[in-house]
Amino acid sequence: MTLWLMAGLLFTPLAWAVLTLLLDFSKGRVVTWLGILVQVLVSLGLWAAVASDGGFLYLLGGWQAPLGIELRVDGLAVTFVLLTALVAAACGWHASIYLDPGKPWHRYFWPLFWFLWAGLNAVWLGGDLFNLYVGLELISLAAVGLVALGGQADALRAAIRYLMAALLGSLAYLLGVALIYGQFGTLSLAGVTELMNSGDVQSGLTFPLILMLLGLALKTALFPMHGWLPPAHGIARSPVSALLSALVVKASFYIAARLWLDLGGHLGGYVLAQLIGVLGSLAVIWGSWLAFRQVKLKQVVAYSSVAQIGYLFLLFPLTWGVTEAISQQAQQGITLQVVSHALAKAAMFLAAGNLIMSVGSNRVDALAGVSRFLPFSLFSFGLAGVSLMGLPPTGGFAAKWLLLQASLASGQWWWLGVLLAGGLLSAAYVFRVYRASFIEATDTDQFYHPSRSLEVIPMILALLSLGLGLVAEPVLSVMSLPFEGAGP
Amino acid sequence: MRRFFGVTILAAVCLAFAGALMITVWHISGTQAPVDLPGLLAENLEASGVEHPITAVLLNFRSYDTLLEIGVLVIAGIAGISMAKTTSLEDPLLRTSDSLLYALQRWFVPLMLVLAGYLLWAGSDRPGGAFQAGAVLAASGVMMRLGGIPMEFLRPGVLLRLGLALGFSVFLLVAVASAMAGDAFLAYPEAFNKPLILVIETVLTFSIAMVLLALFVSAPVNGAEEPEEGERG
Repeated sequence: MTLWLMAGLLFTPLAWAVLTLLLDFSKGRVVTWLGILVQVLVSLGLWAAVASDGGFLYLLGGWQAPLGIELRVDGLAVTFVLLTALVAAACGWHASIYLDPGKPWHRYFWPLFWFLWAGLNAVWLGGDLFNLYVGLELISLAAVGLVALGGQADALRAAIRYLMAALLGSLAYLLGVALIYGQFGTLSLAGVTELMNSGDVQSGLTFPLILMLLGLALKTALFPMHGWLPPAHGIARSPVSALLSALVVKASFYIAARLWLDLGGHLGGYVLAQLIGVLGSLAVIWGSWLAFRQVKLKQVVAYSSVAQIGYLFLLFPLTWGVTEAISQQAQQGITLQVVSHALAKAAMFLAAGNLIMSVGSNRVDALAGVSRFLPFSLFSFGLAGVSLMGLPPTGGFAAKWLLLQASLASGQWWWLGVLLAGGLLSAAYVFRVYRASFIEATDTDQFYHPSRSLEVIPMILALLSLGLGLVAEPVLSVMSLPFEGAGP
Repeated sequence: MRRFFGVTILAAVCLAFAGALMITVWHISGTQAPVDLPGLLAENLEASGVEHPITAVLLNFRSYDTLLEIGVLVIAGIAGISMAKTTSLEDPLLRTSDSLLYALQRWFVPLMLVLAGYLLWAGSDRPGGAFQAGAVLAASGVMMRLGGIPMEFLRPGVLLRLGLALGFSVFLLVAVASAMAGDAFLAYPEAFNKPLILVIETVLTFSIAMVLLALFVSAPVNGAEEPEEGERG
């Protein structure tokens, strides 16, 4: 059964990418709906299979590592596969209504969308350092293509900037991988970890790990390397921005986190961990402040992503040199933060797209009076904002609560200030959007009404992110399933 | 003064990077890798169906990587043609009447086509294969294009998209067929190793050449553009 599920999971996005390449936008849309259904069912099935039987290794082509490529299908991986299925399904559904079928270049949206999905799954499941690089490339190029799709000079400029940052990050990562391979002779992450744990080999150097983390941090837009993110995420179509903020930046972070948890104990150090934590904290403060200052609505949301990504990097100090229990708590907190931010940010971008479509302008102050016309989208925007602020009972609250406990238990009280200040600052930029929308302007009555489905989708995502705090227990128990290491 | 500091800091960063890289490489080259992958590869070469280790790695042992890499190429092709101007094939600015180019073309194009075929075939037991053959095929296409030979199939139409997708689709079909047969994704049946790899290599050559050529031809940027969300177009 799991063999079929795996084949379906890997095959569907790639096959649908080819299929939709041969069709035009409208036909591709119908085909995509079918593909989304298949993909969501397969992801749910795989999640359930792992939840009941535990994780396993999947050997591609029947070759064992280090000769072949192994996929690591464990609790954390399937959690992200399922998250991707939910968010991508929502964004795909939204895009199928939001995008104008009359524009000839929109036919290329579907193949790029499916390739992006394939790349994300490849990264969540990857257990091979080079295979992870290929997954990253798939994601970056598809994302750049989506940002540039039919765009004007500004969109192209943002896309090229994004491409350069992504390529530089990939190259740094690849150089690190080459050095690791040179030292250990294997590309399997599990193999390298095992060699280090066994203690037979001379412990490695920190430089390859720093290189890989640096490249991945650039791709995740960690402060001060975040300059490429707001233009790209701000200028893309809203469903694309939602995909980019919710999932794409998480992929490179996920690899960095896996590297750190496996190799950080041997190759990392206290100073490195604290330094990454400090950069993350600065990202929270600086990103929130810039989000508060933005004139355009989608730039507010994009800078908010810079800030929210900052929290993720607290994983590094909170898991280095602490007890197993604290490390586990921090990992759970970060996982919840990734999941809740993905849901909330996708909801926020989709709702922002609806608002922009409705008022016909992308400025925050143009929202005046929209609260009477589009209360539903505005409400979704606010609900997502509540999760970003970290108020109970949202997933954002549960995440920050766990991080708070982990910081206190490990004696690193200095991260408390960041967690609290970040929440307050996000409240500031969310309420700024609200304030603008409640102002009653007398002269603007012309509002376009987006279709019902467009409004429902962000609402579902926002409710999911809100409810995540209530069902955090089962989600976390699957996520931290011990990895069995046995074949299927 | 600020400029001076900027340059100094940049130079220091570069030096530190180069130094750290050198120390790491020095350290690595002095130690024996605990896993002997080339040895392992040589032991299993028999089972792969081809005699050249690189082709065996690319198309059998690590065929998943190759499949996804072809996907990356197809994405690049899609991103390129999504910005293409449909009229660019008739662009008079691109027409040249260089007699040297014509003469070279007459000599080189047939030769390059033969070379591409040879590289493809050579991949089974010596350096060569789909990527190299595809690059040469694309280069000969570029030459024909510069010489003004009309190539209708390069217009962003269904033929071009079929060409882009062909190699990837065949590869994917083989992958899923092996999964259907009960083995893992991408596990070729033992008896068909060599013919399957050969078929995949051939269609890949064609598609790789198509991607590269499409990127060359569709370089001009779209004239009809989409305004940013919220701006009236």
